[in-house]
Amino acid sequence: MSASASNWLYGAVQHRRNRGLGGLYVVVAAFLVLYAALFPGILSIGGFSKFTQNWFPLALVTMAQALLMLNGGITLAIGPLVSLGAVIAATTMGGAFGVPGGLLAVSIAGIAIGAITGVVVAHLRLPAIIVTLAGSFIIGGAALILLPRPGGFVPDWLSNALAGHTPIAFVVLVVIVGHWKLFLATPLGLGIYAAGDNPLGAFRSGVPIERVKIVSFALSGLLAALAGLFVAAQTGSGDPVIGTPFTLNSIAAAVLGGVGFIGGKGTMRGAICGSLLLSVMINVMFFLGFPPVAQYVAQGLIIVGAVAVPELLAQWRAGR
Amino acid sequence: MNANKLKSLYSLRNVLKASATAGLALVLSTGVASAAANCIKGDRKAPYTIGWANIYSVPTWMKQTEGTITAEVDELKKAGLVKDLMVTDAQGNAQTQIQHIQSMIDANVDAIVVIAGSSNALDRVISDACDKGIAIVNFDSLVNTDKVTAKINTDSSEWGGTAAKWLVDKLGGKGKIIIMNGPAGISVSDDRRKGAQPVLDANKGIQIITETNTEYNVAPAQEAMTSLLFANPDIDGVLSLGGALSAGSVLAFDRQGRDQVPITGENARQFLELWKEKGLKGWATMQPNWLGALSVYTAVQALEGKNVPAFVKVPLPVIDDSSIDSYLASADKFPADGYIYSEYDKALFDKLLAQ
Repeated sequence: MSASASNWLYGAVQHRRNRGLGGLYVVVAAFLVLYAALFPGILSIGGFSKFTQNWFPLALVTMAQALLMLNGGITLAIGPLVSLGAVIAATTMGGAFGVPGGLLAVSIAGIAIGAITGVVVAHLRLPAIIVTLAGSFIIGGAALILLPRPGGFVPDWLSNALAGHTPIAFVVLVVIVGHWKLFLATPLGLGIYAAGDNPLGAFRSGVPIERVKIVSFALSGLLAALAGLFVAAQTGSGDPVIGTPFTLNSIAAAVLGGVGFIGGKGTMRGAICGSLLLSVMINVMFFLGFPPVAQYVAQGLIIVGAVAVPELLAQWRAGR
Repeated sequence: MNANKLKSLYSLRNVLKASATAGLALVLSTGVASAAANCIKGDRKAPYTIGWANIYSVPTWMKQTEGTITAEVDELKKAGLVKDLMVTDAQGNAQTQIQHIQSMIDANVDAIVVIAGSSNALDRVISDACDKGIAIVNFDSLVNTDKVTAKINTDSSEWGGTAAKWLVDKLGGKGKIIIMNGPAGISVSDDRRKGAQPVLDANKGIQIITETNTEYNVAPAQEAMTSLLFANPDIDGVLSLGGALSAGSVLAFDRQGRDQVPITGENARQFLELWKEKGLKGWATMQPNWLGALSVYTAVQALEGKNVPAFVKVPLPVIDDSSIDSYLASADKFPADGYIYSEYDKALFDKLLAQ
């Protein structure tokens, strides 16, 4: 009896959280269908692999951003962290410890930088936006010091494995999302939402607010740095400035996916859908043959539309 | 039909038999390829579809360059050689540019003309395109990989070296200078700066006060120079490694009421006009906008089975007091914040490709 009641509650909560995203799901699905109609090659293994590879790093950084936004934070250091991850990967993988060493170095750097940022934000009570803005300059500078101009080395087999003609990147993404689901089932994971939604209430219920914040920054740093490693593999080398546009795109994708700025509001699946929309939009507009200027306009309209339509629908429903 | 079957059988055998056969196949394929330009397989027929994968379309230099590309495409359409031009703009995002080039491969264009947003981020997607027999012509900002049909550029290192040499001579080998660079981590900007270094090293009397890194635009360059002017009362010369940067510097000196100093630069209309107006001691060169038109022309030549050089080096002209008037004479034909490029025609292109 109690089990079914809690299931019912879970279902109701999930339903409510999905409702605002209905419009986005429809738009994303429509774009995917349109894309498949314009370019049937997407349905082949090779086409699907290439498309998901171009989407993959944006999906990761969007998760990294959404993770913090759900917790009531934000980071402006995503782009530089991607660059740094790419640079570390490209400079360490040629070394004595090879790919495992590179993967470890990138992961440690991402977690450490994230955790340090988290400590500063949580314990010094400084606004995340300022701390990460300052952090973005430091991290970006470090990437340029490590590798002043594009170069470095990523073994071919890794590039071919992650960004070849197989959908391994997509599988990795599914695995990561799976881990997020598992993480949400832990007290720490739930704490991210709780602390973002109502910090005081969460604190009184025994959620270790500071620790949650530090962990979410560390995980976010890890995801961004791993996105950098992927970019290095995809391009076959490191580029100290390649990540820059990811900062804004990660925020755009998360907001598009219904993640709010004030914390606790939104879902990871929405954010990932948002990143998918941003990515598929580029391809669809190419195949529709839009000139670049029209693409800017269309992109803006689609983004505003995807955010505004559900809002308007909700208002219309409420007004009835 | 038969040939196709044979081909698939042959490739099957290739897979089954390991390295030895693969080695032989490599020898065979290079033997065939040497007849035509790189990447060209000879299976594509006119009229061609051309993809123009731009990294960033907003700066005036880019708009003018795109202008020469569309003009060239119009010419080639009249000749029945080109059917369509697909244009993309990655808005400065190298990752998006990869996605665009992938889409061009998916759309099976016949040629891709590209200015790279990163010197090696595009290597893999471009070599994929090359494998598909798409003619790749890369100009201005170059990629690392050699799996392209042709790379076309001026020599950025020579650009920086010649500019530094002129400035050092003008200052008599002694003085304090400021160096103005384009964005950090961009190969064009780095290569120009690197080219200047040996000249600066050889002249110990030249003291570098500081360096700037800004976008190739007037406003940020002017802002950077303005704050440097407050901090440095003595500046003897400015080694500017970009046209808009020079204009920004001259404007900063002017607004602060400082005496102008010898300065290097490019064929930016604003800079050349300021040079004439203020009687500057100046030197400039040119990164021709028609590199775009030349790239399209080269791609079509390659697709038509002509052999084109793997690297087309376009010479850098010198603009000084004796030649500046010839550039300013046609200034009205160019946008106020644009670049005054020299004239070009098919004969010039053929000459450059015959190197």
